[in-house]
Amino acid sequence: MKLNSFRKKSPWILHYNAGGCNGCDIEILACLAPKYDIERFGMINTGNPKQSDILLVTGPVTKRSRERLVEIYAQMPEPKVVVSCGSCASTGGIFRGMYNCEGGIDQYIPVDVYVCGCGARPEQIIDGVVQALAILEKKTKELEQSVRLKKEPVMEGGQLNRRNIAGEIIKLPGQ
Amino acid sequence: MNGLLVPVLLILFAPLLGGLAYGFERIIRARMQRRTGPPLLQPFYDFLKLADKRKMIVHSTHAFLGIMHFLSLWFALAVLFLGGDLILVIFLHLLSTSLLILSGYSTRSIFSHLGANRTAISVLAYEPVLILIAVSVFILTGSFDSASIFSYSQPLLFKMPLAFVALLMILPIKLKKSPFDVAEAHQEITGGVELEFSGIFFEAIYTAKWLDYVFCYTLVYLFGANNPFMGLALVIFAFLYVNALDNSSARVNYKQMLRFSLMVALPVAFINLLITILHLS
Repeated sequence: MKLNSFRKKSPWILHYNAGGCNGCDIEILACLAPKYDIERFGMINTGNPKQSDILLVTGPVTKRSRERLVEIYAQMPEPKVVVSCGSCASTGGIFRGMYNCEGGIDQYIPVDVYVCGCGARPEQIIDGVVQALAILEKKTKELEQSVRLKKEPVMEGGQLNRRNIAGEIIKLPGQ
Repeated sequence: MNGLLVPVLLILFAPLLGGLAYGFERIIRARMQRRTGPPLLQPFYDFLKLADKRKMIVHSTHAFLGIMHFLSLWFALAVLFLGGDLILVIFLHLLSTSLLILSGYSTRSIFSHLGANRTAISVLAYEPVLILIAVSVFILTGSFDSASIFSYSQPLLFKMPLAFVALLMILPIKLKKSPFDVAEAHQEITGGVELEFSGIFFEAIYTAKWLDYVFCYTLVYLFGANNPFMGLALVIFAFLYVNALDNSSARVNYKQMLRFSLMVALPVAFINLLITILHLS
């Protein structure tokens, strides 16, 4: 019995509305309600970035909310995945091109799963989150991999130059 | 030696028992809302997942206080199971809660501070009632030891039913359930003191919550201590009562909680104490 296999059984969700119309948020809350009941997969809507695994974002990124979006993303401990929920979060939707909005959240944070729809149906959201779980598993495995350095550190002017090594590491994950 | 075996096993497996109780509670709560609910072992899945997360700490004292909160709570539970002094148990529990409060104050997060304030207020709400119940037990059995309750001729419930009522009134405060969950208030201050913990350090807080279940339901069990079936029946009753109340009521604010506790639960416990004294003399 591998203990690691249990880790995708308890994804905790952080839900953030980056200036949407609340349509997708209502659908997300419908997932928690008796009809769809995503708690049977062990998902909890935590609202605390430091303890959550999946960031579920709705809405086009308004210029006021983008700092918070990036800050919340940075506060989540790895491994983490981002699901953009609804067409606004994915592309900007009907708000695309407006003066106060950005076109989608992927301009600011890396997105793993896009869920379409305006507003996204609960079935689609659940499907997106389940796909995100597979990505979470993959990311965890990548984190556990050891990274072997191929380059020797170079001495430049009495100091170690680590820039080349850093470039090497950044290329490695994902293969 | 034989008498020690059961308490020692209980102490060792207390987090396990508490985890099962928490998993069972999540299922019961889901069924009350006509949902399916998570699997029974869900708390343990959460536990294993949290161990995998990256370790982020605010500062080392904060993480240390969180872990000490868990350890001191386990110690309080050990004293209770080994038949120790009830007053000592209550104050050890207070010590563990105050470590949690300190850890809440040690960060600069405003939610953490609010949670610490509210935890301190909820301690103020339930602590006097617990102490009055312990004093009533002393007057009835002649000893503060929890072992003396087991050797007493009758279950405590028949001797002092009002104390049980008072305990039922403060159980939601201790377990942080609605309507008295101001200390945790997930929708409002996102968990309060546990906000800044993450990864393996949140695990200490999460497991301490399970130990709190064991602690509270052991206090309930003491009321039917010398008849195991009656004790278990009381525990199941208290379990269903707390969850039904949690599902059916909205959160009150801290003033209302304090007023209810000091104006209703405390007088009930006090009347129970008076009746116990008069009954004996």
